[in-house]
Amino acid sequence: MENSKKRGSFLVRWWFTAKMALHGIVANPLRSALTILGVAIGVASVVSLMGIGEGARRAVVEQFESLGANVITITAHDPSVEFDTEYHEELIERVVGLEAATPVVSDKASLKWRRTRGRVDFLGVNNQFPFIRDHELASGHFFTSLHVKQRSPVVVLGYNVAISLLGGRNPVGKSITIDGNTYRIIGVLKEKGIGKAEDIDNKIVIPYTSALKISEKRKVDAIWAKAASKIEADLAIVQLGRIFKRKLGLDQKAPNFASAKEGEEEGGKEGGEENKGSVKPVPKEPDSPRPTLPSSGDNLITITSLNKLVQEADKANRVMTLLLGGIAAVSLLVGGLGIMNIMLVSVTERRTEIGVRRALGAKQTDLLLQFLLEALYVSIIGSIAGIAAGIWGLDIFENQGFQTAVSFSAIKIATVVALSSGLVFGVYPAISASSVPPVEALRSQ
Amino acid sequence: MALLKLEDIHHSYKMGQINVDVLKGIDIHISRGEFVSIMGPSGSGKSTLLNILGCLDIATRGTYEIDGNRIEKLSDSRLADIRNEFLGFVFQHFHLLSHLNARENVELPLIYRGMWGNDRKRKATEALEIVGLGDRLHHLPSQLSGGEKQRVAIARAITMEPAVVLADEPTGALDSHSSNNIMRIFKKLNKELGMTIVQVTHDYEVSLHGQKTYHILDGVIERIENVESGGGV
Repeated sequence: MENSKKRGSFLVRWWFTAKMALHGIVANPLRSALTILGVAIGVASVVSLMGIGEGARRAVVEQFESLGANVITITAHDPSVEFDTEYHEELIERVVGLEAATPVVSDKASLKWRRTRGRVDFLGVNNQFPFIRDHELASGHFFTSLHVKQRSPVVVLGYNVAISLLGGRNPVGKSITIDGNTYRIIGVLKEKGIGKAEDIDNKIVIPYTSALKISEKRKVDAIWAKAASKIEADLAIVQLGRIFKRKLGLDQKAPNFASAKEGEEEGGKEGGEENKGSVKPVPKEPDSPRPTLPSSGDNLITITSLNKLVQEADKANRVMTLLLGGIAAVSLLVGGLGIMNIMLVSVTERRTEIGVRRALGAKQTDLLLQFLLEALYVSIIGSIAGIAAGIWGLDIFENQGFQTAVSFSAIKIATVVALSSGLVFGVYPAISASSVPPVEALRSQ
Repeated sequence: MALLKLEDIHHSYKMGQINVDVLKGIDIHISRGEFVSIMGPSGSGKSTLLNILGCLDIATRGTYEIDGNRIEKLSDSRLADIRNEFLGFVFQHFHLLSHLNARENVELPLIYRGMWGNDRKRKATEALEIVGLGDRLHHLPSQLSGGEKQRVAIARAITMEPAVVLADEPTGALDSHSSNNIMRIFKKLNKELGMTIVQVTHDYEVSLHGQKTYHILDGVIERIENVESGGGV
């Protein structure tokens, strides 16, 4: 009974104290508004800058992901190591976890459809291409292995090419002229978006057999492969690294090579720093048996898993986001100092009030709570306003064509920092308010 | 038994390097139901004495008891309780909180007591009716005259039904008409409700409203004057 009465009395005091603290804010509207603005600007900048950073991160990740999941690209940087057109089949057999692979020929060709002429990037691949790079068809179908084998004059258009050549009409079944030869359009790829999937929207895709003919090549300089899973992609990179070292006759070359190999294996297992399996040529010794190899320092082959690139880019952007957030947090700190400043002024101004309250029976804790709550209200209102302003700012930014993301972790961080800065910076003024001896407080007028 | 018991009270404070002795051995016993004035010129130490009586300040030396509670030994939080329970303050400059209306101002000590809404409003209203402001409950201090403000302050002081009302120059900021009004209220409180009142004043006229006047000079009680009851107004 006694106990519940006591608890009741605390409730009354605190409820009232909370109300008084609100009065403290309302009593000086302009001053409170400016202080709240300070906090709000801090919170808004954290929310918006981190949102922009997060948006940039997602944009990069999406860009990489548009290239296809678990894709491994093998690119030769020197004509001496280019691949035979059947070599990708050998790789599928030898490397565990590779599901599909295609030789890749890329070049430019002239294009003509009715009265429209122009040059266009083309991609010569086999029938596995849509599967490897995760492409879907907007209409028609992709070419088959038979088309590839027979070097059929068939073409699949990128989305933008189809639109710009034929407007809205369905191009499937129509014919276009590529480098003087007539090709039948059998499909159109679905749109990937600006800058996505190596700009596939603006390219055309033909069987690599035809492509070799157009670009007058016998060998291809790239192979794209798809692994069954992320882990298998990592393992495949290691295996590919070994295969190419052996193939290029680099495996006996002791010191340099050993380190390169180590790097690859680590890269494969940990998914860490070393995510490119680059086979580096050994510095040439005077009696080198392969004088045809390019001079030291150049990479002959790059074996890259896009997964790793995604991770790397993601990591770099995360750091960037945090950095932006950190810079914004400085303005949050300034907002907190604003609270402290105004609270100190308020305590000085209200010494008489403090004295009267003490005379009427207020304890130190009542005053401590009152001034602390006042500081906290400012930071709470500031946080809410700041979050709203930050999201609004991101919206504006988004309308300017940037990708942004309202990041809840940013909101969480900003709110926690704002509230704790309200507490931290409110504590000192509140203590100084509550510790004025009543007689001093009353005398000050 | 005395309600307030001051024995051999000394008080000094540091002013720069020098110790200034303000009170030099004061003995005062005030019983329940008394109306006492403390008079003296400025600098005599009468305000310091009132601060000590009001537990706003603790004497450097000497003992002070309120209803058997030894004040020097209490924590800050207990002192707040004592002020809240036993003492009602009336200040020269009223010290009403400007953003609260009359009744809310009177409710303040009740809130620190932890009293719930309806009881609180009823008690505050009663107190305001006693001082004749039953029709001014919702006025803000800025809408009240000086005399009315002081009456609100008196209502605030008596709403807890304290043992003692301590008034520091209660008429110091008022014209003579309002002053008389305040004194009439004090006497009514004293006579009809049996409240103990201690007022500090430098105005001899005002001191005559009490039953007993302690004349203070240079920190000691110079003489004690008994006023015939019914003096003044």
